[in-house]
Amino acid sequence: MTPKQGQVEVTFNWVYVLIAGAVILLFFIGLVVRQKAVSEEQLSIEVVRIMESIFTGAGVSEKTKNFIDISGLAEYTLYFGCSNEVGEYGILGTSARAENAIDPFFAPKEIKASQLIVWSLPYRLPFKVIDFLFITSSNTQYIVLGEVPFATEFVNSTQGFNVQHLVSRQEYEQIDPGHNFQVRIIDTVGTTLTAGSGVPLLLQSLGNERVTGVSFGQGAVTYYSKNNENKWEQQGAAVPMVSLDEERDAAKYAAIFVADADMYRCNLKKAFRRLELINEVYGGKENEPGGKIQQLLNYYGGHPESLCKNPLVERQDNLVTALASHQRNAAACRLDASTCTNLIASARALRTANKALAELGDCITLY
Amino acid sequence: MKKDRMETPPLRKRGQLHITETIAVLFIFFVLVFFGLLFYSKYQKISLAEKQEELLGERAMETTLKTLFLPELGCSKGEAEQEDNCIDLMKLEAAQKTFSEHINDYYFGIFSYANITVQELYPDSARSWTLYDKLKTKTLEDGTVVKDWERKEPTYFVVTLRDESQGRVQYRFGYIVVEVYS
Repeated sequence: MTPKQGQVEVTFNWVYVLIAGAVILLFFIGLVVRQKAVSEEQLSIEVVRIMESIFTGAGVSEKTKNFIDISGLAEYTLYFGCSNEVGEYGILGTSARAENAIDPFFAPKEIKASQLIVWSLPYRLPFKVIDFLFITSSNTQYIVLGEVPFATEFVNSTQGFNVQHLVSRQEYEQIDPGHNFQVRIIDTVGTTLTAGSGVPLLLQSLGNERVTGVSFGQGAVTYYSKNNENKWEQQGAAVPMVSLDEERDAAKYAAIFVADADMYRCNLKKAFRRLELINEVYGGKENEPGGKIQQLLNYYGGHPESLCKNPLVERQDNLVTALASHQRNAAACRLDASTCTNLIASARALRTANKALAELGDCITLY
Repeated sequence: MKKDRMETPPLRKRGQLHITETIAVLFIFFVLVFFGLLFYSKYQKISLAEKQEELLGERAMETTLKTLFLPELGCSKGEAEQEDNCIDLMKLEAAQKTFSEHINDYYFGIFSYANITVQELYPDSARSWTLYDKLKTKTLEDGTVVKDWERKEPTYFVVTLRDESQGRVQYRFGYIVVEVYS
């Protein structure tokens, strides 16, 4: 009896050890799996936080191009979006994302690359309103079409970007995407990209959302993308360009770097919101005079002999009326894009009045 | 027979011994697991505090950077570039009102919980302007409002102050204090 009992006991011990061992092993495997998921989530949150810091730095370092190595994130897809004046970006497929209702950033919808390019330009209307942040990647190719001064200016100012300047129709037809993630065609003249026209042959192998175009003409920008029939399809209505059309026109550059018309409008609205607030700093509220202009009026009110009063308040196109009109137009443009031409006109009037004040020599200017 | 019984313990006693042994092993195992978890949680707590400290420092720098480049304050001259690290006093005085009126609907999105003060050093060291002040507070059951932040990170930055209030440009000297809370 005893040897049989011993045998049962030994067998039982081994079964017990096996079960206990398996339970302990499972416990640690579970711990590792969970930790891995948590680490990945933490990594994506950390990446988004770092992106926020980079964008803050790039946003304020005016006109500086930042080439950021993100080869460690080459497997991830970064996404950008904007709706109801709130921008959003993050890593696709994770919960890590950041929202920004203040800074306008103009980027493709998706970026999957080993190098991120971040650049900012000040948006002036006519004074500086905010910095426009452009985000792109080394494998997002920009093809500039046309022989206008803006085409040359764009190519020269985007040194280090993946930009190609084509002048002939033949070159356009032979565009090769190579290993690029996406291609954006920039029609600076507004004659090549038309709804229904064919997409260059070699670009047809890319996905529809990876082949997009932007066309400038008559003070507006129109967006296109490739459709299933390999033709250009217009994406929404043309968006009016709200800028003073100067060199390095931030609004024009933004139109090139942003994914589509909706994202462009959404980010411009953020700028118009800031413009309303800066207008308050310069001119107070509509029915409550104040701001810097009130301080100028108070000072020159005590100096009736000063010639500065003429461009400030006396002549027909004076600074006070120009600023008041600019305030009204900024608020209207944010609500209704069709009124934005008035905003451009008032910005020009304000610039002229401010220049007139500056040309007198001894006068304090508004901006 | 008697001798044999003395040498081999009874079956029940041996079983009891085994159970005690198993309980002891399990007890030691769980004690080790408990200590492991204790150390891990302590480590996590410390690293979390360090991370919070790091994030607060980062936020302080970012807020300072944003403040220095605010178009609402910068010294502009027509179409030319803004002067670096310079604050236009006329704009600053006007901006105080705009900032306080739009603190919740706009500027909180830029500065979050912070206090931004501009202090003049020369020639009049008594002059200072509070540009933005949003403290993290909570209301107790008895209605008392008390602070709800643990750490404060101040950052100082030297700036020039452009004063045109006398009809000509005068430069003053001061610094900007940005305090962020967590």
